[in-house]
Amino acid sequence: MRTNSWTLPALLALGLIACSGEASRESETKTADASATPSIKVWWFQWDPATGLQELGREFQAETGIAVEVQQIPLASYQEKVFLEFGGSRTNFDIVIGDSQWIGRGASGGLYVELTDWLPTVVDLATIHPRAAKYLCEYPEGSGRWYAAPCETDAVGLAYRKDWFEDPKERAAFQARYGRELAVPATYEEFRQVAEFFQRPDEKRYGCAMPSDRNYDGLTMGVQNLLWAFGGKWKDEDSNKVVGHLDTQGTADAIEFFKTLMKLGPKGCERLDYGQVLESFTNGSTAMILNYFAFFPGIHAQFGDKVGFAVVPSHEGRRVASLGGQGLSISAKIPKEQQERAKRFIAWFLQRSVQEKWITKPAGFTANAEILSSPDFRAKTPFNGPFADSVDAMRDFWNVPVFNKLLAATQRYVGMAVDGEMPTQEALQKLALEKERILKEAGLL
Amino acid sequence: MSSSAPRARSLAWALVGPTLALLIAFNVFPLLYNIASSFTNAELIGGEWRSVGGANYARVFEDELFAGALRRTALFVVCAVTLELLLGFALALSLHRGLPGKQVVLTILLVPMMLSPAVMGLYWNLVLNGNYGVVNQGLTALGFDPPQWLTDRDLKFWSILLIDVWMWTPFMMLIALAGLNAIPPSIYEAAQIDRARPWKVFTRITLPMCTPVLGLAVLFRATDALKQFDLVMAVTGPNDAATQTLSTLLYQVVFRDGSVGLGAAFSCVILVLVIALATVFTRYIDRLQSKDVTA
Repeated sequence: MRTNSWTLPALLALGLIACSGEASRESETKTADASATPSIKVWWFQWDPATGLQELGREFQAETGIAVEVQQIPLASYQEKVFLEFGGSRTNFDIVIGDSQWIGRGASGGLYVELTDWLPTVVDLATIHPRAAKYLCEYPEGSGRWYAAPCETDAVGLAYRKDWFEDPKERAAFQARYGRELAVPATYEEFRQVAEFFQRPDEKRYGCAMPSDRNYDGLTMGVQNLLWAFGGKWKDEDSNKVVGHLDTQGTADAIEFFKTLMKLGPKGCERLDYGQVLESFTNGSTAMILNYFAFFPGIHAQFGDKVGFAVVPSHEGRRVASLGGQGLSISAKIPKEQQERAKRFIAWFLQRSVQEKWITKPAGFTANAEILSSPDFRAKTPFNGPFADSVDAMRDFWNVPVFNKLLAATQRYVGMAVDGEMPTQEALQKLALEKERILKEAGLL
Repeated sequence: MSSSAPRARSLAWALVGPTLALLIAFNVFPLLYNIASSFTNAELIGGEWRSVGGANYARVFEDELFAGALRRTALFVVCAVTLELLLGFALALSLHRGLPGKQVVLTILLVPMMLSPAVMGLYWNLVLNGNYGVVNQGLTALGFDPPQWLTDRDLKFWSILLIDVWMWTPFMMLIALAGLNAIPPSIYEAAQIDRARPWKVFTRITLPMCTPVLGLAVLFRATDALKQFDLVMAVTGPNDAATQTLSTLLYQVVFRDGSVGLGAAFSCVILVLVIALATVFTRYIDRLQSKDVTA
């Protein structure tokens, strides 16, 4: 039988059109079903806790009939996507789980719904840890004006190779070299000593790693643990003044100390993002890392009893951990009806019984002060106790509307100081002037 | 006669109109809007816009970041385009002389050019990774102390440049090959009869006759390299002082800092630079072509 050369492609094309018609009918049916069920859409970045929240969302749907869809956006483009959505007249999400630093922009730009009057009607505010409330939920910090409810509370902590620390040979060698026992470092001096001890590039074994990436906020989050511990500051807490408060000996000492730690890590450790810090530990080469607790359940699942967890070291009695985590904020650019649904979900999520479930989800960390202080919680995992202690010590970077400009400047100048491109004091002086210029332009100084 | 002229004019408008409307909507209007925004304090989200006069332009010209990004971009354009031109032309010459398996080699060489720069950035991130990248594993196996290609502040810019050269040399090669194929064989035959030496043939025939087409390729690549964005974003991100180009700086200013007014001023200055560069190149090509015609 003779067929024209175009018969087969034509049949294929017709088939495709027919299938696409079928698919579009299916999608129409789905849309119709979806529109029949009330639902809310939550945006968060792509990571384990978001999957955990989706699981809780299904329980919420079973209880209330309101479907919850947690959309996970790749972290690298999350911030840009969220704020581009806010640039429109209606956002594609009802709840955004925004970085703590965004709250000033969200609150003062009229992007987040203010929750001050509503939140106390659904939750006892005293059950929310004061540090989480101050940095994750209120704007201005500690003002009592709420724009978010705590979702994921996080802080920087210490993960270490317990098996190396407990190895009798290592312990003896450490004792012989430093005249003290090899123990989990309580101070930064001890931390540096232990890192120096384990720094053996020939054996592909390294001392320590911590966030130091220059792209977004890695370096700032890594340095500020030391900055506050060494008595440095980003600003004067009351006046927002920077000159004379940032460019101090304490801040310079912290950066100088940080520089010495950068020599005690794997190659390229002066530019590691959070994932790379984690990778340097999970590949079995690094003795200690400073990173967010949200990564620690994964480490524990991989290494079991071979790893231990602790709070960040201190310096002269001062211990401060960089805050991580995000709050649940309701978009002001959605209809009132959707805002009410979003509030129902937040109220449900903050219940103690739900928070008890939340902490069982992968990397689900709570701000519920009652749970954090309960012995049961501390005993459940090896990282829960240090996490609860870290929440008491956590602090955040700027969260004013222009935080991004302040962050970009910090990354740049602190980066130049760490790389030795500019003397530390000069970099700090320039950074302080730049920050004051940004704050003055924004009317915050 | 008299009725056909208006009809022809109507037809012309009907044909040109839609394109013109699209051009105005998507090119002219955004350009004018951008210029207007550059004189305001516009932010990405919220806030009343007000005029700030030339303050944004003053910031652009006194900003160390802009100066740094401008220098880095210029260095990138010069180095990348030069290397790509030299390597591409050399490859084209080898292929033109009937390299065995020419079609296979040509196909393999064209692959990098056909892949997305963002994907290539991610791919090279793995290849050049300091700890587990295949390049450093190879160097370690050979007994070398491997460098940190993507984290060493002195190296990362050059690493991105090398990726760009790897990607775009085939483009130069393709254009150069087209130029070489367009030279009539009779000219070479005449040179052979005159017993011209290979170097003379190259400098008097091959190179001059390929120059217009190579100039065009340089124009394309230079304007493209001037916009370098995807690779930098994929390899180091927009806020790395060692690799920040004009495009990634613009992204940082507008989308991360939210300063639309300042970003608009940045982009206007960049636009002027691109137009200036393109004008120089097009005039150069016009001159070459007019010489060709006269000859």
